[in-house]
Amino acid sequence: MRKYIYALIALLSLATVALATDSQIWGEMRIQNILGYGQEESLKLGVWFTFLQSKYFAWVFLGVLIGVPTVFFLHYKIVGQKVFPHSHKKHYAFNLFHRTIHQVAAVSFMVIIPTGFIIVFGDFFGGGTLVRAAKNLHGIFTIPFAIVIIPMALMWIKEAIFNLEDIKWFMILGGYLSKEKQIINATQFNAGQKMWYWVCVLGGLVMILSGAMMFFMDFKIEMLHNLTGLSHIDMLRASAIIHNVMGFILVAVFFTHIYMAAVAIKGAIHSIITGYVEEEEVKFLHNAWYKKLKEKGKF
Amino acid sequence: MENARMKFYCDESRCIECDGCTIACAEAHELPVGIARRKVITIHEGIPGKEVSTSVACMHCTDAPCEQVCPVDCFYIREDGVVLHDKNKCIGCGYCLYACPFGAPQFPREGIFGSKGAMDKCTMCAGGPLTTNSHHEFELYGQNRIAEGKVPVCAAMCSTKALLVGDAESVSNVIRARVTARGGKGVNSSYGWDKAYKNQ
Ligand code: HEM
Ligand code: SF4
Ligand code: SF4
Repeated sequence: MRKYIYALIALLSLATVALATDSQIWGEMRIQNILGYGQEESLKLGVWFTFLQSKYFAWVFLGVLIGVPTVFFLHYKIVGQKVFPHSHKKHYAFNLFHRTIHQVAAVSFMVIIPTGFIIVFGDFFGGGTLVRAAKNLHGIFTIPFAIVIIPMALMWIKEAIFNLEDIKWFMILGGYLSKEKQIINATQFNAGQKMWYWVCVLGGLVMILSGAMMFFMDFKIEMLHNLTGLSHIDMLRASAIIHNVMGFILVAVFFTHIYMAAVAIKGAIHSIITGYVEEEEVKFLHNAWYKKLKEKGKF
Repeated sequence: MENARMKFYCDESRCIECDGCTIACAEAHELPVGIARRKVITIHEGIPGKEVSTSVACMHCTDAPCEQVCPVDCFYIREDGVVLHDKNKCIGCGYCLYACPFGAPQFPREGIFGSKGAMDKCTMCAGGPLTTNSHHEFELYGQNRIAEGKVPVCAAMCSTKALLVGDAESVSNVIRARVTARGGKGVNSSYGWDKAYKNQ
Protein backbone atom coordinates (compact mmCIF):
# COMPACT_ATOMS: atom_id res chain seq x y z
CA MET A 1 0.00 0.00 0.00
CA ARG A 2 2.82 2.34 0.99
CA LYS A 3 4.37 1.80 -2.42
CA TYR A 4 1.21 2.82 -4.22
CA ILE A 5 0.89 5.94 -2.17
CA TYR A 6 4.48 6.95 -2.91
CA ALA A 7 4.00 6.21 -6.58
CA LEU A 8 0.81 8.24 -6.67
CA ILE A 9 2.43 11.16 -4.89
CA ALA A 10 5.37 11.03 -7.28
CA LEU A 11 3.02 10.99 -10.25
CA LEU A 12 0.93 13.89 -9.00
CA SER A 13 3.97 15.94 -8.14
CA LEU A 14 5.39 15.24 -11.56
CA ALA A 15 2.29 16.75 -13.07
CA THR A 16 2.28 19.83 -10.88
CA VAL A 17 5.94 20.75 -10.97
CA ALA A 18 6.42 20.06 -14.64
CA LEU A 19 6.79 23.76 -15.29
CA ALA A 20 9.33 24.54 -12.60
CA THR A 21 10.99 27.87 -13.24
CA ASP A 22 14.61 26.79 -12.86
CA SER A 23 15.78 24.33 -15.44
CA GLN A 24 17.16 21.16 -13.89
CA ILE A 25 19.03 20.32 -17.07
CA TRP A 26 20.22 23.39 -18.91
CA GLY A 27 20.77 25.79 -16.01
CA GLU A 28 23.32 25.43 -13.23
CA MET A 29 22.77 21.66 -13.33
CA ARG A 30 24.41 21.53 -16.72
CA ILE A 31 27.78 21.98 -15.04
CA GLN A 32 27.19 18.85 -12.94
CA ASN A 33 26.29 16.94 -16.05
CA ILE A 34 29.37 18.03 -18.01
CA LEU A 35 31.78 17.44 -15.14
CA GLY A 36 30.22 14.15 -14.11
CA TYR A 37 29.92 12.55 -17.55
CA GLY A 38 31.83 9.28 -17.67
CA GLN A 39 33.87 10.10 -14.53
CA GLU A 40 35.25 7.18 -12.56
CA GLU A 41 33.27 7.98 -9.43
CA SER A 42 29.97 8.32 -11.30
CA LEU A 43 27.65 5.54 -12.47
CA LYS A 44 28.56 6.43 -16.05
CA LEU A 45 24.90 6.34 -16.97
CA GLY A 46 25.42 8.57 -20.01
CA VAL A 47 28.06 6.24 -21.38
CA TRP A 48 26.00 3.17 -20.51
CA PHE A 49 22.86 4.53 -22.09
CA THR A 50 24.75 5.39 -25.27
CA PHE A 51 26.28 1.92 -25.41
CA LEU A 52 23.06 -0.01 -24.71
CA GLN A 53 20.80 2.09 -26.92
CA SER A 54 23.18 2.16 -29.87
CA LYS A 55 24.09 -1.54 -29.74
CA TYR A 56 21.43 -3.61 -28.01
CA PHE A 57 17.98 -2.26 -27.23
CA ALA A 58 16.49 -2.39 -30.72
CA TRP A 59 17.96 -5.87 -31.34
CA VAL A 60 16.59 -7.26 -28.09
CA PHE A 61 13.16 -5.83 -28.95
CA LEU A 62 13.39 -7.42 -32.39
CA GLY A 63 14.35 -10.71 -30.73
CA VAL A 64 11.35 -10.54 -28.41
CA LEU A 65 9.03 -9.49 -31.24
CA ILE A 66 10.03 -12.46 -33.38
CA GLY A 67 11.17 -15.01 -30.78
CA VAL A 68 8.18 -15.09 -28.46
CA PRO A 69 5.54 -15.52 -31.20
CA THR A 70 7.76 -18.16 -32.85
CA VAL A 71 7.80 -20.22 -29.67
CA PHE A 72 4.01 -19.99 -29.46
CA PHE A 73 3.57 -20.84 -33.10
CA LEU A 74 5.58 -24.02 -32.51
CA HIS A 75 3.54 -24.75 -29.40
CA TYR A 76 0.36 -24.32 -31.43
CA LYS A 77 1.63 -26.68 -34.13
CA ILE A 78 3.05 -29.32 -31.81
CA VAL A 79 0.89 -29.26 -28.70
CA GLY A 80 -2.08 -27.39 -30.03
CA GLN A 81 -5.10 -25.78 -28.43
CA LYS A 82 -6.83 -27.14 -25.40
CA VAL A 83 -10.51 -27.37 -26.17
CA PHE A 84 -13.07 -27.59 -23.40
CA PRO A 85 -16.78 -27.97 -24.05
CA HIS A 86 -18.60 -24.67 -23.65
CA SER A 87 -22.13 -25.97 -23.44
CA HIS A 88 -21.98 -26.84 -19.75
CA LYS A 89 -22.63 -24.76 -16.71
CA LYS A 90 -20.89 -21.46 -16.19
CA HIS A 91 -19.85 -19.38 -13.22
CA TYR A 92 -20.08 -15.57 -13.17
CA ALA A 93 -16.52 -14.72 -12.09
CA PHE A 94 -15.88 -11.23 -13.43
CA ASN A 95 -18.42 -8.51 -12.73
CA LEU A 96 -18.86 -5.38 -14.79
CA PHE A 97 -16.32 -3.46 -12.69
CA HIS A 98 -13.65 -6.15 -13.20
CA ARG A 99 -14.30 -6.26 -16.90
CA THR A 100 -14.36 -2.50 -17.40
CA ILE A 101 -11.07 -2.03 -15.56
CA HIS A 102 -9.53 -4.89 -17.50
CA GLN A 103 -10.77 -3.60 -20.86
CA VAL A 104 -9.40 -0.10 -20.27
CA ALA A 105 -6.01 -1.64 -19.49
CA ALA A 106 -6.31 -3.94 -22.51
CA VAL A 107 -7.06 -1.12 -24.94
CA SER A 108 -4.24 0.99 -23.46
CA PHE A 109 -1.79 -1.87 -23.97
CA MET A 110 -2.96 -2.45 -27.51
CA VAL A 111 -1.97 1.14 -28.28
CA ILE A 112 1.07 1.50 -26.00
CA ILE A 113 2.89 -1.62 -27.16
CA PRO A 114 2.66 -1.25 -30.97
CA THR A 115 3.49 2.47 -30.72
CA GLY A 116 6.42 1.59 -28.44
CA PHE A 117 7.72 -0.70 -31.16
CA ILE A 118 7.24 2.01 -33.80
CA ILE A 119 9.42 4.34 -31.72
CA VAL A 120 12.06 1.67 -31.13
CA PHE A 121 12.23 0.94 -34.86
CA GLY A 122 11.73 4.62 -35.75
CA ASP A 123 14.43 4.58 -38.41
CA PHE A 124 12.67 1.72 -40.21
CA PHE A 125 9.50 3.85 -40.30
CA GLY A 126 11.47 6.85 -41.55
CA GLY A 127 10.86 9.08 -38.53
CA GLY A 128 8.77 12.24 -38.93
CA THR A 129 4.98 12.48 -38.69
CA LEU A 130 4.16 8.78 -38.30
CA VAL A 131 6.68 8.09 -35.55
CA ARG A 132 5.87 11.40 -33.84
CA ALA A 133 2.17 10.41 -33.84
CA ALA A 134 3.16 7.06 -32.35
CA LYS A 135 5.10 8.85 -29.63
CA ASN A 136 2.14 11.07 -28.80
CA LEU A 137 -0.32 8.14 -28.73
CA HIS A 138 2.12 6.20 -26.57
CA GLY A 139 2.07 9.03 -24.05
CA ILE A 140 -1.69 9.71 -24.24
CA PHE A 141 -2.69 6.08 -23.69
CA THR A 142 -0.51 6.00 -20.62
CA ILE A 143 -3.20 8.13 -18.93
CA PRO A 144 -6.07 5.55 -19.01
CA PHE A 145 -3.63 2.84 -18.01
CA ALA A 146 -2.39 4.92 -15.09
CA ILE A 147 -5.98 5.47 -13.98
CA VAL A 148 -6.93 1.77 -13.92
CA ILE A 149 -3.69 0.24 -12.67
CA ILE A 150 -4.38 0.85 -8.98
CA PRO A 151 -7.98 -0.47 -8.98
CA MET A 152 -6.80 -3.44 -11.07
CA ALA A 153 -4.00 -4.13 -8.62
CA LEU A 154 -6.38 -3.98 -5.65
CA MET A 155 -9.23 -6.02 -7.14
CA TRP A 156 -7.04 -9.03 -7.94
CA ILE A 157 -4.32 -8.90 -5.31
CA LYS A 158 -5.94 -11.59 -3.13
CA GLU A 159 -5.97 -14.03 -6.04
CA ALA A 160 -2.42 -13.14 -7.08
CA ILE A 161 -0.49 -14.04 -3.95
CA PHE A 162 1.77 -17.00 -4.69
CA ASN A 163 1.40 -20.22 -2.68
CA LEU A 164 3.23 -23.55 -2.52
CA GLU A 165 1.04 -25.16 -5.18
CA ASP A 166 2.47 -22.65 -7.65
CA ILE A 167 5.88 -24.30 -7.50
CA LYS A 168 4.32 -27.50 -8.82
CA TRP A 169 2.58 -25.50 -11.54
CA PHE A 170 5.90 -24.05 -12.68
CA MET A 171 7.58 -27.50 -12.66
CA ILE A 172 5.15 -28.79 -15.29
CA LEU A 173 4.46 -25.33 -16.79
CA GLY A 174 0.79 -25.75 -15.98
CA GLY A 175 0.52 -28.86 -18.13
CA TYR A 176 0.70 -26.76 -21.28
CA LEU A 177 3.51 -28.88 -22.72
CA SER A 178 1.31 -31.93 -23.07
CA LYS A 179 -1.73 -32.55 -25.22
CA GLU A 180 -3.53 -34.32 -22.43
CA LYS A 181 -5.99 -32.60 -20.18
CA GLN A 182 -4.56 -32.87 -16.69
CA ILE A 183 -6.23 -31.79 -13.51
CA ILE A 184 -4.27 -28.80 -12.27
CA ASN A 185 -4.70 -27.86 -8.65
CA ALA A 186 -4.66 -24.07 -9.11
CA THR A 187 -6.83 -21.44 -7.48
CA GLN A 188 -8.72 -18.79 -9.47
CA PHE A 189 -5.43 -17.62 -10.96
CA ASN A 190 -2.72 -20.14 -11.76
CA ALA A 191 0.97 -19.36 -11.25
CA GLY A 192 1.36 -18.06 -14.81
CA GLN A 193 -1.53 -15.65 -14.40
CA LYS A 194 -0.11 -14.53 -11.08
CA MET A 195 3.20 -13.86 -12.70
CA TRP A 196 1.49 -11.74 -15.35
CA TYR A 197 -0.38 -9.88 -12.60
CA TRP A 198 2.88 -8.87 -10.91
CA VAL A 199 4.72 -8.02 -14.12
CA CYS A 200 1.77 -5.97 -15.29
CA VAL A 201 1.17 -4.15 -12.01
CA LEU A 202 4.72 -3.58 -10.76
CA GLY A 203 6.23 -3.42 -14.23
CA GLY A 204 3.39 -1.16 -15.34
CA LEU A 205 4.09 1.24 -12.49
CA VAL A 206 7.77 1.27 -13.41
CA MET A 207 6.85 1.99 -17.04
CA ILE A 208 4.46 4.79 -16.05
CA LEU A 209 6.99 6.44 -13.75
CA SER A 210 9.98 6.10 -16.06
CA GLY A 211 7.84 7.21 -19.00
CA ALA A 212 6.54 10.21 -17.06
CA MET A 213 10.10 11.23 -16.21
CA MET A 214 11.01 11.22 -19.88
CA PHE A 215 7.81 13.02 -20.86
CA PHE A 216 8.12 15.89 -18.38
CA MET A 217 11.91 15.84 -18.63
CA ASP A 218 12.66 19.19 -17.00
CA PHE A 219 11.00 19.25 -13.58
CA LYS A 220 12.08 19.45 -10.00
CA ILE A 221 11.30 17.01 -7.21
CA GLU A 222 13.85 17.29 -4.42
CA MET A 223 12.59 14.05 -2.85
CA LEU A 224 13.61 12.00 -5.88
CA HIS A 225 17.19 13.24 -5.76
CA ASN A 226 17.44 12.45 -2.07
CA LEU A 227 15.90 9.04 -2.60
CA THR A 228 18.13 8.00 -5.49
CA GLY A 229 21.23 10.10 -4.92
CA LEU A 230 21.30 10.79 -8.65
CA SER A 231 21.54 14.08 -10.50
CA HIS A 232 18.54 14.99 -12.59
CA ILE A 233 20.07 14.09 -15.93
CA ASP A 234 21.22 10.74 -14.52
CA MET A 235 17.67 10.00 -13.36
CA LEU A 236 16.50 10.61 -16.93
CA ARG A 237 19.19 8.27 -18.25
CA ALA A 238 18.25 5.64 -15.68
CA SER A 239 14.60 6.04 -16.70
CA ALA A 240 15.43 5.47 -20.35
CA ILE A 241 17.45 2.35 -19.54
CA ILE A 242 14.81 0.98 -17.15
CA HIS A 243 11.96 1.74 -19.59
CA ASN A 244 13.65 -0.32 -22.27
CA VAL A 245 14.69 -3.25 -20.07
CA MET A 246 11.32 -3.46 -18.31
CA GLY A 247 9.78 -3.12 -21.78
CA PHE A 248 11.43 -6.39 -22.93
CA ILE A 249 9.93 -8.26 -19.99
CA LEU A 250 6.51 -6.63 -20.20
CA VAL A 251 6.16 -7.29 -23.91
CA ALA A 252 7.27 -10.92 -23.62
CA VAL A 253 4.81 -11.67 -20.81
CA PHE A 254 2.06 -9.65 -22.52
CA PHE A 255 2.39 -11.75 -25.68
CA THR A 256 2.15 -14.84 -23.49
CA HIS A 257 -1.01 -13.51 -21.86
CA ILE A 258 -2.61 -12.91 -25.27
CA TYR A 259 -1.62 -16.33 -26.58
CA MET A 260 -2.96 -18.12 -23.51
CA ALA A 261 -6.28 -16.30 -23.49
CA ALA A 262 -6.92 -16.18 -27.20
CA VAL A 263 -5.30 -19.34 -28.56
CA ALA A 264 -3.94 -21.88 -26.07
CA ILE A 265 -7.28 -22.48 -24.39
CA LYS A 266 -9.95 -22.17 -26.99
CA GLY A 267 -12.46 -19.47 -26.17
CA ALA A 268 -10.97 -18.55 -22.78
CA ILE A 269 -11.03 -14.91 -23.83
CA HIS A 270 -14.85 -14.88 -23.62
CA SER A 271 -14.69 -15.06 -19.84
CA ILE A 272 -13.32 -11.54 -19.55
CA ILE A 273 -15.82 -10.26 -22.13
CA THR A 274 -19.00 -11.85 -20.75
CA GLY A 275 -17.79 -12.46 -17.20
CA TYR A 276 -18.66 -16.18 -17.27
CA VAL A 277 -16.05 -18.93 -16.89
CA GLU A 278 -16.78 -22.46 -18.16
CA GLU A 279 -17.18 -25.30 -15.68
CA GLU A 280 -14.94 -27.71 -17.58
CA GLU A 281 -12.13 -25.18 -17.84
CA VAL A 282 -12.26 -24.40 -14.15
CA LYS A 283 -12.45 -28.09 -13.23
CA PHE A 284 -9.31 -28.99 -15.15
CA LEU A 285 -7.17 -25.89 -14.96
CA HIS A 286 -8.18 -24.38 -11.61
CA ASN A 287 -9.20 -27.39 -9.59
CA ALA A 288 -8.65 -25.85 -6.14
CA TRP A 289 -10.97 -23.00 -7.10
CA TYR A 290 -13.41 -25.49 -8.60
CA LYS A 291 -13.71 -27.39 -5.33
CA LYS A 292 -14.32 -24.20 -3.42
CA LEU A 293 -17.02 -23.09 -5.84
CA LYS A 294 -18.64 -26.51 -5.66
CA GLU A 295 -18.73 -26.30 -1.87
CA LYS A 296 -20.55 -23.01 -2.18
CA GLY A 297 -22.98 -24.67 -4.50
CA LYS A 298 -21.95 -22.81 -7.64
CA PHE A 299 -22.36 -24.37 -11.14
CA MET B 1 43.98 16.64 -49.39
CA GLU B 2 42.20 15.41 -46.30
CA ASN B 3 39.07 17.18 -45.31
CA ALA B 4 39.35 19.89 -42.70
CA ARG B 5 37.86 18.87 -39.34
CA MET B 6 35.91 21.74 -37.78
CA LYS B 7 36.23 22.16 -34.01
CA PHE B 8 35.27 24.56 -31.25
CA TYR B 9 37.77 25.59 -28.61
CA CYS B 10 37.23 27.88 -25.66
CA ASP B 11 40.39 29.33 -24.16
CA GLU B 12 39.55 29.44 -20.46
CA SER B 13 42.34 31.84 -19.65
CA ARG B 14 40.59 34.41 -21.84
CA CYS B 15 36.87 33.83 -21.24
CA ILE B 16 35.52 36.67 -19.10
CA GLU B 17 31.99 35.28 -18.73
CA CYS B 18 30.44 38.16 -20.66
CA ASP B 19 27.74 35.94 -22.22
CA GLY B 20 28.22 37.71 -25.56
CA CYS B 21 28.32 34.39 -27.43
CA THR B 22 24.98 33.26 -25.96
CA ILE B 23 23.27 36.50 -26.94
CA ALA B 24 24.88 36.67 -30.37
CA CYS B 25 23.73 33.13 -31.09
CA ALA B 26 20.18 33.66 -29.85
CA GLU B 27 19.83 36.89 -31.87
CA ALA B 28 21.43 35.63 -35.07
CA HIS B 29 19.24 32.54 -35.22
CA GLU B 30 16.15 34.18 -33.70
CA LEU B 31 15.88 31.43 -31.12
CA PRO B 32 12.70 31.19 -29.04
CA VAL B 33 12.89 32.24 -25.39
CA GLY B 34 14.09 29.37 -23.26
CA ILE B 35 16.42 27.93 -25.87
CA ALA B 36 20.13 28.70 -25.51
CA ARG B 37 22.25 26.82 -27.98
CA ARG B 38 25.37 28.23 -26.35
CA LYS B 39 25.84 28.93 -22.69
CA VAL B 40 28.65 30.25 -20.53
CA ILE B 41 29.26 28.20 -17.43
CA THR B 42 31.63 28.64 -14.52
CA ILE B 43 33.36 25.52 -13.30
CA HIS B 44 34.68 25.03 -9.77
CA GLU B 45 33.07 28.30 -8.76
CA GLY B 46 34.59 29.79 -5.62
CA ILE B 47 37.64 27.53 -5.56
CA PRO B 48 40.68 29.82 -5.86
CA GLY B 49 42.96 28.89 -8.71
CA LYS B 50 40.50 26.39 -10.14
CA GLU B 51 37.55 28.60 -11.03
CA VAL B 52 37.23 29.03 -14.78
CA SER B 53 34.51 30.12 -17.12
CA THR B 54 33.97 28.51 -20.45
CA SER B 55 31.44 28.62 -23.24
CA VAL B 56 29.65 25.39 -24.11
CA ALA B 57 27.41 24.34 -26.93
CA CYS B 58 27.26 21.24 -29.06
CA MET B 59 30.92 20.32 -29.62
CA HIS B 60 30.26 18.40 -32.84
CA CYS B 61 31.88 15.32 -31.36
CA THR B 62 33.89 12.66 -33.10
CA ASP B 63 31.71 9.50 -33.18
CA ALA B 64 28.89 11.69 -31.87
CA PRO B 65 26.97 9.84 -29.13
CA CYS B 66 23.74 11.63 -30.08
CA GLU B 67 23.97 10.21 -33.60
CA GLN B 68 24.46 6.71 -32.20
CA VAL B 69 21.35 6.65 -30.03
CA CYS B 70 18.77 8.43 -32.21
CA PRO B 71 15.91 5.96 -32.82
CA VAL B 72 14.91 7.64 -36.09
CA ASP B 73 18.48 8.13 -37.30
CA CYS B 74 17.94 11.78 -38.12
CA PHE B 75 21.54 12.93 -37.63
CA TYR B 76 24.01 13.38 -40.43
CA ILE B 77 27.64 14.27 -40.07
CA ARG B 78 29.21 16.50 -42.67
CA GLU B 79 32.58 15.71 -44.11
CA ASP B 80 34.06 18.54 -42.07
CA GLY B 81 32.75 16.91 -38.88
CA VAL B 82 29.80 19.23 -38.24
CA VAL B 83 27.00 17.23 -36.60
CA LEU B 84 23.58 18.22 -37.96
CA HIS B 85 20.10 16.75 -37.73
CA ASP B 86 16.81 16.74 -39.62
CA LYS B 87 14.07 18.36 -37.54
CA ASN B 88 11.35 17.02 -39.79
CA LYS B 89 12.43 13.49 -38.93
CA CYS B 90 13.16 14.07 -35.24
CA ILE B 91 10.39 12.95 -32.88
CA GLY B 92 11.66 14.75 -29.79
CA CYS B 93 12.29 11.65 -27.72
CA GLY B 94 15.17 13.12 -25.74
CA TYR B 95 17.59 10.24 -26.25
CA CYS B 96 20.27 12.47 -27.76
CA LEU B 97 20.25 14.59 -24.60
CA TYR B 98 20.78 11.52 -22.43
CA ALA B 99 23.75 10.49 -24.57
CA CYS B 100 25.35 13.94 -24.88
CA PRO B 101 28.35 14.73 -22.63
CA PHE B 102 27.59 18.47 -22.87
CA GLY B 103 23.85 18.70 -22.28
CA ALA B 104 23.52 20.35 -25.68
CA PRO B 105 20.19 19.09 -27.12
CA GLN B 106 17.14 21.11 -26.02
CA PHE B 107 13.43 20.69 -26.55
CA PRO B 108 10.85 23.42 -27.08
CA ARG B 109 7.40 22.33 -25.89
CA GLU B 110 4.70 22.23 -28.54
CA GLY B 111 1.08 21.34 -29.17
CA ILE B 112 -1.81 21.15 -26.71
CA PHE B 113 -0.25 18.32 -24.72
CA GLY B 114 2.98 20.22 -24.27
CA SER B 115 5.00 17.28 -25.51
CA LYS B 116 8.62 17.69 -26.44
CA GLY B 117 9.04 19.17 -29.90
CA ALA B 118 11.88 18.63 -32.36
CA MET B 119 15.31 18.85 -30.78
CA ASP B 120 17.31 22.06 -31.17
CA LYS B 121 21.05 22.49 -30.84
CA CYS B 122 24.02 24.39 -32.22
CA THR B 123 24.60 23.81 -35.93
CA MET B 124 27.98 25.52 -36.03
CA CYS B 125 26.01 28.04 -38.08
CA ALA B 126 25.73 25.48 -40.86
CA GLY B 127 21.93 25.30 -41.14
CA GLY B 128 20.22 22.02 -41.87
CA PRO B 129 19.21 19.61 -44.60
CA LEU B 130 16.76 22.01 -46.31
CA THR B 131 17.71 24.17 -49.31
CA THR B 132 20.72 26.23 -48.28
CA ASN B 133 19.83 29.75 -47.16
CA SER B 134 16.14 29.18 -47.82
CA HIS B 135 13.48 30.71 -45.60
CA HIS B 136 12.55 27.23 -44.35
CA GLU B 137 16.10 26.45 -43.38
CA PHE B 138 16.34 29.69 -41.42
CA GLU B 139 13.04 29.05 -39.62
CA LEU B 140 14.10 25.63 -38.41
CA TYR B 141 17.86 25.85 -38.01
CA GLY B 142 18.84 29.54 -38.11
CA GLN B 143 21.46 31.17 -40.28
CA ASN B 144 23.70 29.19 -42.56
CA ARG B 145 26.78 31.36 -42.23
CA ILE B 146 29.20 28.60 -43.23
CA ALA B 147 27.56 28.43 -46.65
CA GLU B 148 28.12 32.18 -47.00
CA GLY B 149 31.77 31.81 -46.05
CA LYS B 150 31.30 33.52 -42.68
CA VAL B 151 32.62 32.46 -39.30
CA PRO B 152 30.04 31.07 -36.83
CA VAL B 153 28.53 34.04 -35.05
CA CYS B 154 29.54 33.16 -31.47
CA ALA B 155 33.25 33.03 -32.23
CA ALA B 156 33.02 36.02 -34.54
CA MET B 157 31.47 38.10 -31.75
CA CYS B 158 33.69 36.89 -28.90
CA SER B 159 35.33 40.05 -27.57
CA THR B 160 38.40 38.38 -26.09
CA LYS B 161 38.62 35.78 -28.83
CA ALA B 162 38.50 33.09 -26.18
CA LEU B 163 36.07 31.14 -28.31
CA LEU B 164 37.68 29.77 -31.42
CA VAL B 165 36.22 27.80 -34.26
CA GLY B 166 37.78 26.46 -37.39
CA ASP B 167 39.57 23.52 -38.84
CA ALA B 168 41.50 21.56 -36.22
CA GLU B 169 44.90 22.60 -37.42
CA SER B 170 44.29 26.35 -37.48
CA VAL B 171 42.73 26.19 -34.01
CA SER B 172 45.72 24.25 -32.68
CA ASN B 173 48.11 26.74 -34.21
CA VAL B 174 46.38 29.67 -32.55
CA ILE B 175 46.41 27.92 -29.18
CA ARG B 176 50.04 26.94 -29.50
CA ALA B 177 51.07 30.47 -30.34
CA ARG B 178 49.08 31.79 -27.37
CA VAL B 179 50.57 29.29 -24.95
CA THR B 180 54.07 30.13 -26.12
CA ALA B 181 53.36 33.83 -25.69
CA ARG B 182 52.09 33.15 -22.15
CA GLY B 183 55.34 31.37 -21.34
CA GLY B 184 53.76 27.91 -21.27
CA LYS B 185 50.97 28.81 -18.87
CA GLY B 186 47.39 27.71 -19.42
CA VAL B 187 48.26 24.66 -21.49
CA ASN B 188 45.34 22.72 -20.05
CA SER B 189 43.07 22.03 -22.92
CA SER B 190 39.58 23.41 -23.02
CA TYR B 191 36.94 21.61 -20.94
CA GLY B 192 35.53 18.64 -22.74
CA TRP B 193 37.93 18.90 -25.65
CA ASP B 194 39.26 15.39 -24.92
CA LYS B 195 35.73 14.02 -24.51
CA ALA B 196 34.45 15.57 -27.70
CA TYR B 197 37.38 14.88 -29.99
CA LYS B 198 39.01 11.86 -28.32
CA ASN B 199 42.36 13.66 -28.31
CA GLN B 200 42.61 13.48 -32.04
C1 HEM C 1 2.67 -0.08 -19.61
C2 HEM C 1 3.55 0.13 -20.49
C3 HEM C 1 4.12 1.46 -20.88
C4 HEM C 1 3.87 2.72 -20.44
C5 HEM C 1 2.87 3.14 -19.39
C6 HEM C 1 4.72 3.62 -21.19
C7 HEM C 1 4.74 5.01 -21.05
C8 HEM C 1 5.63 5.85 -21.69
C9 HEM C 1 5.66 7.28 -21.59
C10 HEM C 1 4.69 8.12 -20.78
C11 HEM C 1 6.69 7.73 -22.35
C12 HEM C 1 7.12 9.17 -22.57
C13 HEM C 1 6.57 9.66 -23.87
C14 HEM C 1 7.12 10.98 -24.29
O1 HEM C 1 8.26 11.30 -23.94
O2 HEM C 1 6.41 11.69 -24.99
C15 HEM C 1 7.33 6.59 -22.93
C16 HEM C 1 8.44 6.63 -23.76
C17 HEM C 1 8.93 5.54 -24.47
N1 HEM C 1 8.41 4.26 -24.47
FE1 HEM C 1 6.97 3.59 -23.26
N2 HEM C 1 5.48 2.89 -22.06
C18 HEM C 1 5.14 1.56 -21.90
C19 HEM C 1 5.63 0.49 -22.59
C20 HEM C 1 6.58 0.57 -23.59
C21 HEM C 1 7.01 -0.54 -24.39
C22 HEM C 1 6.50 -1.95 -24.25
C23 HEM C 1 7.93 -0.06 -25.25
C24 HEM C 1 8.69 -0.78 -26.33
C25 HEM C 1 8.19 -1.64 -27.13
C26 HEM C 1 8.10 1.35 -24.99
C27 HEM C 1 8.96 2.18 -25.66
C28 HEM C 1 9.16 3.50 -25.35
C29 HEM C 1 10.19 4.31 -25.91
C30 HEM C 1 11.21 3.84 -26.95
C31 HEM C 1 10.07 5.58 -25.33
C32 HEM C 1 11.02 6.75 -25.52
C33 HEM C 1 10.64 7.61 -26.62
C34 HEM C 1 9.70 8.70 -26.22
O3 HEM C 1 9.85 9.30 -25.17
O4 HEM C 1 8.83 8.97 -27.02
N3 HEM C 1 7.25 1.71 -23.97
N4 HEM C 1 6.66 5.45 -22.53
S1 SF4 D 1 27.99 17.79 -28.10
FE1 SF4 D 1 26.20 16.48 -27.78
S2 SF4 D 1 24.79 17.06 -29.39
FE2 SF4 D 1 26.82 17.83 -30.00
S3 SF4 D 1 27.72 16.21 -31.26
FE3 SF4 D 1 28.41 15.85 -29.15
S4 SF4 D 1 26.84 14.41 -28.34
FE4 SF4 D 1 25.96 15.32 -30.17
S1 SF4 E 1 15.16 13.89 -29.85
FE1 SF4 E 1 15.18 13.80 -32.10
S2 SF4 E 1 17.33 13.95 -32.64
FE2 SF4 E 1 17.27 13.44 -30.46
S3 SF4 E 1 17.42 11.21 -30.42
FE3 SF4 E 1 15.23 11.71 -30.39
S4 SF4 E 1 14.58 11.69 -32.53
FE4 SF4 E 1 16.83 11.76 -32.53
